Amino acid sequence: MKFLEINDLTKSFGGVQAVNDVSFSVDKGEIVAVIGPNGAGKTTLFNLMTGIYQPTQGSVVFKDTDVTRLTAYQVAQLGIARTFQNLQIFNNMTVLENVMVGRHTKSKTGFLGAVFPLGPVQREEREIVEKSLDNLAMVGLADKALEAANSLPYGQQKMLEIARAVALEPELLLLDEPAAGLNSTETRELVEIIYGLRDRGVTILLVEHDMETVMEITDRLVVLDFGNKLAEGTPYEIQNNQEVIAAYLGEEGLGC
Amino acid sequence: MKDLTRRKRLRHSLIVLFTLFIFSLPFLITNNYYLSVLVIIGIHTTVVVGLCLLMGYAGQISLGHAAFYGLGAYASGILTSTYGISPWLAILAGAVGTGLITYTMGIPIFRLKEHYLALATLGLGLIIHVIFVEEVELTGGPSGLSKGIPYLSIGKLVLNTDFRYYFLVWAIALAAIILANNVVHSRIGRALRSIHGSEFAAKSLGVDTDKFKLQVFALSAIYASVAGSLYAHYITFISPSPFGLMTSIQFVVMAVVGGLSSIWGPILGVTAVTLLTEALKSIIPQLIPQAGGEYEIVIFGLILVITMIFLPEGLTSGLLKLYEGWRYRKERADEIP
Repeated sequence: MKFLEINDLTKSFGGVQAVNDVSFSVDKGEIVAVIGPNGAGKTTLFNLMTGIYQPTQGSVVFKDTDVTRLTAYQVAQLGIARTFQNLQIFNNMTVLENVMVGRHTKSKTGFLGAVFPLGPVQREEREIVEKSLDNLAMVGLADKALEAANSLPYGQQKMLEIARAVALEPELLLLDEPAAGLNSTETRELVEIIYGLRDRGVTILLVEHDMETVMEITDRLVVLDFGNKLAEGTPYEIQNNQEVIAAYLGEEGLGC
Repeated sequence: MKDLTRRKRLRHSLIVLFTLFIFSLPFLITNNYYLSVLVIIGIHTTVVVGLCLLMGYAGQISLGHAAFYGLGAYASGILTSTYGISPWLAILAGAVGTGLITYTMGIPIFRLKEHYLALATLGLGLIIHVIFVEEVELTGGPSGLSKGIPYLSIGKLVLNTDFRYYFLVWAIALAAIILANNVVHSRIGRALRSIHGSEFAAKSLGVDTDKFKLQVFALSAIYASVAGSLYAHYITFISPSPFGLMTSIQFVVMAVVGGLSSIWGPILGVTAVTLLTEALKSIIPQLIPQAGGEYEIVIFGLILVITMIFLPEGLTSGLLKLYEGWRYRKERADEIP
């Protein structure tokens, strides 16, 4: 049994094949990156995997469960969390509350419990706060817990998105360009956070343009170009793949 | 953790203080007209608290709330006057019925978003209003229910004066505020606000956004229904006219003026708009003798536009900012002798 299997995944928008017949798989505990030039279909791939879009063809199988036709919230309930390329922070909440929403699937207070918060509800609420503070501490934002989320600088908002996704206690975490817009210090922190998550058994699939970081941290890469899978392999293999160099990176070569 | 507890304490003490203030008011105000205005403010507050849950927290709009308010009023009116059912049971029946109707009607309606959703709720409101007017045998048609609606009573105490009714209405309005406050600061409240913040992200965190939208829509309609029942037993006569589009708009204006994402917004918004309307009722005829009710809608429009321009987050946060500005200036003044 593969941990995650993408089979012949195809998505067309009108006449455009955003993702065309892409297949690959990910093992538990791996860090895998999807790379490719702008418009290669990387984010579309993420949206297909998380139920935001329905594929035209193909399937996504997560731990033997076919998640292809599930909606976004059902996919999340199965333990797949994600972050977004363009930030999707809840601007109307505090930093802590953002992460607390992340624990939605791990808690169960319903409307009745919300209206009449008796003992068990309050206990659950305390647990949510404590665990969320742990998640914030992991990304170094514990001291910002009560600030308005939109008052954080960009880099910290990106970290907050990761903390929020991790609060879901996912088995598979999809990171959409986590390093974009981060300075070098923040990128180092990000790498440490990603390693920390891997050590806790979280499998990570990321889309990233920062080649140095990608080559450093990933076990394997999948290269997309115009919706097609161009290559798949270890960083070493990809760096020496003539097709990838020609199609994607031009003359300069990889790992620059 | 400590800061959180402190915030919670502050919230609770504010509620306690406000409760004491509200329940001492009728002993200070002996004028019956003022008291009746306060009763109406209490009833409208209950509606607007529900509307704020929907609009301010979940970020969804409803232009049909006057109709749900009417559903409660007619359920109470018809069940008690025509069928002789206990008023308290009738209120409950109205609330449950309105909840069921809005939940089922919400399933198709909440496939829509934003302007389209506003139009669909407006349509639902209009349809319900047409039923009030046309179902003459049941509702008495445009001239209203012919049989009198009984006063509410607790044991042997008949709530037939403004003074007595005031306590019931405000007990329910305060309960509405406290329960809504509980919802807002719960897992459900966070889920609702996450829909407002980014529906996309909410879904990706496992929030069944469609379900929560429906539930909060039904809950806010139930609030409106209970308020409608209270209205029916207060006025003891109902006709379709207070449950039309104009009232729905009025509720939205009250919610927006007060500020959508504070639990105190509704009280402030309802009070400000009601007092202004009452004042205008006596001022406008003096200025323009031939003026009718149509001037009200112009005024509401103006209030809405002015609020959106100068206090886009409503009176509550507007006042808070004024206070913070004042405190800041005061501190500065203290520093420089």
